[in-house]
Amino acid sequence: MKKSGKGIGIMFYGTGYGNGYPDVSRAKAKIDHTGRFTIYSGACEVGQGAKTALAQIPAEILGISTKDVIFDHEDTKTTLDAGTCAASRQTYNTGNAMKLTSESLKKILENKAREILNLNKEQTLIFNDHHIYQKADPSKQISFKQIAGSCDLKELEIEEVFQAVTTEMNEETGEGNPYWPYTFGACGVEVEIDTETGGLDITNAILVQDVGRAVNPKLIEGQMDGGFAMAQGYALLEDLNIVKGEIKHHNFTKYLIPTALDAVEVKKIIVEDPESSAPFGAKGIGEPVMIPVAPAILNAIYDAVGVRITEIPVTPEKLLKAIKEVG
Amino acid sequence: MKTINMKINGTERQIEIDENERLLDVIREGFHLTGTKEGCGEGECGVCSVLLDGKLVNACMIMAFQAADREVITIEGVGKDGGLDPIQQAFIDTGAVQCGFCTPGMILSAKALLLKNPTPSKQEIRRGISGNLCRCTGYEKIVEAVALASDRMRNPEQ
Ligand code: FES
Ligand code: FES
Repeated sequence: MKKSGKGIGIMFYGTGYGNGYPDVSRAKAKIDHTGRFTIYSGACEVGQGAKTALAQIPAEILGISTKDVIFDHEDTKTTLDAGTCAASRQTYNTGNAMKLTSESLKKILENKAREILNLNKEQTLIFNDHHIYQKADPSKQISFKQIAGSCDLKELEIEEVFQAVTTEMNEETGEGNPYWPYTFGACGVEVEIDTETGGLDITNAILVQDVGRAVNPKLIEGQMDGGFAMAQGYALLEDLNIVKGEIKHHNFTKYLIPTALDAVEVKKIIVEDPESSAPFGAKGIGEPVMIPVAPAILNAIYDAVGVRITEIPVTPEKLLKAIKEVG
Repeated sequence: MKTINMKINGTERQIEIDENERLLDVIREGFHLTGTKEGCGEGECGVCSVLLDGKLVNACMIMAFQAADREVITIEGVGKDGGLDPIQQAFIDTGAVQCGFCTPGMILSAKALLLKNPTPSKQEIRRGISGNLCRCTGYEKIVEAVALASDRMRNPEQ
């Protein structure tokens, strides 16, 4: 017999190393003699989209296109340390370092432009495509290249550092500020269970993620799809089968992960609630997207067949056994 | 050692092989075409997918001598005249690449599918790439990319 059920899972997750551990990202930036902008920071691109999303931050600040941002991000000879690509921390931490660095460089350029164009502090300046002009009189303008030609290039180099503020948690009282920032998410699924085989199909799925600010919505959707599929595998398939410290399921014949045929079309909702301490309000979501999915699936199983599963993965054998036990 | 002929990505080549080498070894170490990846090495993950006489195979499961006097297409050979294949372009446009490790194999699988069936349904696309594992994307954007490529190949003016 087929039985269906619905379940939800909700979560919050603290990003970054946390617990008072120094969580530091550095960046440096420069304008070269041709007026080109380069920013250096050791955030590794491992597929999460750091290269794209982080480059959008200086582009926004300096009024240039993302494709004109030269982002040197993996060369240990040239870049400054931006910590690990872990703990969903790069968007927030390195994003902040990129922002501070770009803002400082912008200040320098702005001061140079005022000096050369003879404008006082009251005059608003606009940055657009490697040019700076006076808002009230756009004919008063100067290019990054002209500024670079007018001074020692060393003056157009800057380094900044960002450190997340967290404190150790008091284990007795639970007081403290162990992580910052937190992200929030929810997942809902509908499942159909075959009570004769223990087979489970996810027939409908929705994933909602608070991102602070969506720097790049397409990349976020990709992370949400990926997080859901990984969590689906975590909940239903993936079992290392460790016996006396030895991993028995050490290949894909035994350690099963979802294939394109298992994957579910997930309805994705991105919630934007800007975080005041974050770059443009954006928070990391790499890990958070995975967290509410397995609880939602387990709750849907309970709704469908009335059994509370407390151990994952819920393989068909396990599910069948549990269903038989409750009769 | 033994010398075999192989047409690889459109060029007739001669190469010395060891009898116990796999096609994957010859592609990566003989021809230095490192776009084709090795994942599991036992026919489960699909990252080593290439076309052998137009048919999709796992290059880790084929002995090099089996490819003698046959035609092999790897990821380096799917685009024409230095340009991108429409499937590659669609992968970029939809955001179907995250870490990229599965991508060469995925694209070859998609290529084989679209050669056989230029207008696959979403379910047929899922089946077509089901031998290729991806840890990052949840497959959704990959399925979208293959659908988009199929669309563009039929209506090239778009
Ligand atoms: S390396 Fe050939 S299938 Fe995995
Ligand atoms: S993009 Fe990373 S495995 Fe597919």
